[in-house]
Amino acid sequence: MASKYKGKSAANRPDNTRAAGPETSTSQSRMDLVSNALFAPFTHKKKNSSRILTDLAPVIMTPRMMNAAATVSSRSRGSLGGSAPGGSRLDFATLGRAPMRLTLGNRRITSRDLQIVEATDELLDADIPEAEGVASDVSLFRGFNATIPSSEKNRTRRKQMRNVETPRIGLKKLGMSARGMMMEDEEERSVASEDDVVVVTRPDERGKRKGKRRGRESLSAAKALGKDELSRQTQEILLDKENLHVRRSLINSEITEIINKIKALDSIRDGLEQDLLKLQEDELELDDELEGVRERMEFEEGAFRQNDKSKPAPSSYIAPSRRRKGPVFLPSEHDDLPPGVAFMTLESHITPITALDFSEPYGTLVSASQDDSQPRLWDLMTGSAIGRLRGHRGAVKCIQVEDNLCLTGADDGTVRLWDLQLVDDDDWDRDGLTDVAEEVEGTAYDGELVEKPNGIRSSEPSEAGTDHTGPCIRSFEGHSKAVTALYFEDECLVTGASDKTLRQWDLATGQCVMTMDILWAISHPQPTIPGNSLPNHFFPGAAASAGHFAVPTPPYADGSWEMYQDFVGGVQFWGYGLVSGSGDGAVRMWDMRTGQAHRTLMGHTGPVTCLQFDEMHIASGSLDKSIRIWDVRTGGTFETLKYDHAVTALQFDTRKIIAATGENGVKIYNRTSMQHSSLHTNGHTQPVERLRYMDRYLISGGRDAALKIWTL
Amino acid sequence: MPTELPYAADAEISLTYDELEVLRLQYEKELAQSHVTVQTKFNYAWGLVKSPMRDHQVEGVRLLQDIYRTEPTRRRECLYYLALGHYKMGNFTDARSFNDLLLSREPTNLQAQSLASLIDKGVAREGYVGMALAGGVAALGTLLVAGLIRRATRK
Repeated sequence: MASKYKGKSAANRPDNTRAAGPETSTSQSRMDLVSNALFAPFTHKKKNSSRILTDLAPVIMTPRMMNAAATVSSRSRGSLGGSAPGGSRLDFATLGRAPMRLTLGNRRITSRDLQIVEATDELLDADIPEAEGVASDVSLFRGFNATIPSSEKNRTRRKQMRNVETPRIGLKKLGMSARGMMMEDEEERSVASEDDVVVVTRPDERGKRKGKRRGRESLSAAKALGKDELSRQTQEILLDKENLHVRRSLINSEITEIINKIKALDSIRDGLEQDLLKLQEDELELDDELEGVRERMEFEEGAFRQNDKSKPAPSSYIAPSRRRKGPVFLPSEHDDLPPGVAFMTLESHITPITALDFSEPYGTLVSASQDDSQPRLWDLMTGSAIGRLRGHRGAVKCIQVEDNLCLTGADDGTVRLWDLQLVDDDDWDRDGLTDVAEEVEGTAYDGELVEKPNGIRSSEPSEAGTDHTGPCIRSFEGHSKAVTALYFEDECLVTGASDKTLRQWDLATGQCVMTMDILWAISHPQPTIPGNSLPNHFFPGAAASAGHFAVPTPPYADGSWEMYQDFVGGVQFWGYGLVSGSGDGAVRMWDMRTGQAHRTLMGHTGPVTCLQFDEMHIASGSLDKSIRIWDVRTGGTFETLKYDHAVTALQFDTRKIIAATGENGVKIYNRTSMQHSSLHTNGHTQPVERLRYMDRYLISGGRDAALKIWTL
Repeated sequence: MPTELPYAADAEISLTYDELEVLRLQYEKELAQSHVTVQTKFNYAWGLVKSPMRDHQVEGVRLLQDIYRTEPTRRRECLYYLALGHYKMGNFTDARSFNDLLLSREPTNLQAQSLASLIDKGVAREGYVGMALAGGVAALGTLLVAGLIRRATRK
């Protein structure tokens, strides 16, 4: 009855198989588990059975016979997936497999079985490329035969053949005592023959024996191997050599694989290091942002407090924006701009740009060009010119804009302070001829556009006396030669001029507070600083003390050059500390309380053309085609960046240095990754002369008289 | 290019326990170094497949599948070994699919052809067993039915 039951369920099983369909292996396993449970008393592990047999008759159960016994059962057992993925074919094979599985015992279905089965399908789909490289030279099977332990057995066999039976020499004792170990009482056997006694052949003994001229026969003579054996050995040796060859090629291929892996890992590591650098950069940016936000917090608190008092805000109420590092407010569309492309070009000038500055991104830009005494005003939101600053009698060489205040220094030796809000829209060209009798409105603006009531339009600038009307609020006179560098903050202004002096002015009163003579500083160098014992004339063309200062610039990228005559290339101050860069190639640090230069930083071999410092570094660019970064505290040089042409303008922050280096592209140096890059898409067609940036908004002016605006 | 493969009979000859042990140790040593060479893996897998124990064979096939997955250059040989492994375990359908794939790539391979015939023979044998079983069940069934009918008619 039991068998009938088995038969019935076996017949049912294939039906289940058919019904199960796709969910093959799992359903089968459930069935198997159930059948296992039912037939547990009848089944026993195959392992047990063959182990029992092995124990009983180890001699009989050679591997061969064990295999034979096992394969019968295993083959006839069939597997889970075997029947199932074959589809729902109810055929005799399936049927035949079933009872055997039940009767001959069933292993627990392990996850391994399932794994194999499930993997089959995906493997069959995998691509099979042509074997190449080592795979075609050495098949796996060959490698197997070459590397399994039994490949050594021929060699060991040959060695054993060469073993010669000799009387006991006691080598083991020798070895043990050579290693310094005590022999256990293995050598209890008494020394029977004299050979046991021989330990180390001492020279005198050998000499004795030589005399006898008998000698011992060599070991190899004692044994005869026979021709068959020897030929067999030659064959085996040849085979072993082949095996060696196989193993060698295997190892070589492994080595190349490892080399490739190492390369891949190395490149991954490089990528990660780059990421680390980027993170560092981001951190610096965040630090700056934090500072900016804090400043803004203070400002807003102050502003709102003032609003309660409802008095007109004074013109310079914001913390000096030149030192503001944090993010600025930009229109939201700014983010859409592609970086590194000049998205706006302002063209109106006809000569190379000599100075530019702007109040804020998308605010007001003031720019001046060579031989032009009237800097132009631009509205950066629309990109159109909105006016000019008329008043100077010489070309404007330096400009600084802070909100609505603008200071310009010109060739006529004067510095003028302008209120940009008072500049009216001026759409009349210098050469414009339209005589329009325009009513003079509220405030007379005769400092600006001169409009005589009789209709004749005169473009002559008014006299310097009209300081209090019109945009020019104040004029600072005192320098005898062109003012080439200026810097102002709050109420204090410092200017540098070609008369080789620096003057400090009070903005409110217009008076010169102090004059610092560079020539004097050159001829009276501070002796205390080590390394300051170099002569004052750092480079042949200096002629610093000899009157007119003029140095030929090295050629720009387009080959042009000119005479550089600005003795003071750049000034900046903070608190009482002033830094100036001058035509003798020296960067001087002054104390504005005493008016003395307390430190001179030497290193440049050409006139310094531009300068900036922050709490940690001073950056100076010069005609010697280099930018030097100095440490503010010690005066040592941190870095020297070399370029191909003279550096004419620079600006830096913790993360980057942007410089105009006599090429058409604006050069950017990333300080964290130490990479150079250049902005040239839709850029200038002639070398860049001046630049200024705030956060991600950069304006550059070049010798092509164009002003280009970039997103960083 | 003809692949060098062992005949199926070679799979029946298993290694000694010691040899297998050596292979296993070699494999695990390389595993500990986290760089297992293909040859070591194959050696161990092939030794396992040759063994009579079903667990070993399963493990061997699993390792061969790993090799198949990770080494595209070795895939053609692995097809044969996988077919052989499945054949030993009795998964004739899997064995046949692998072997057929190999034969489609290399129709002239003698070992693959012999394995194909072996698989056919195995399937046929199971078929006979099944036929016998079906016949037996049918016979039993008829006996039962006859007995019932007789009982019924007798009553």
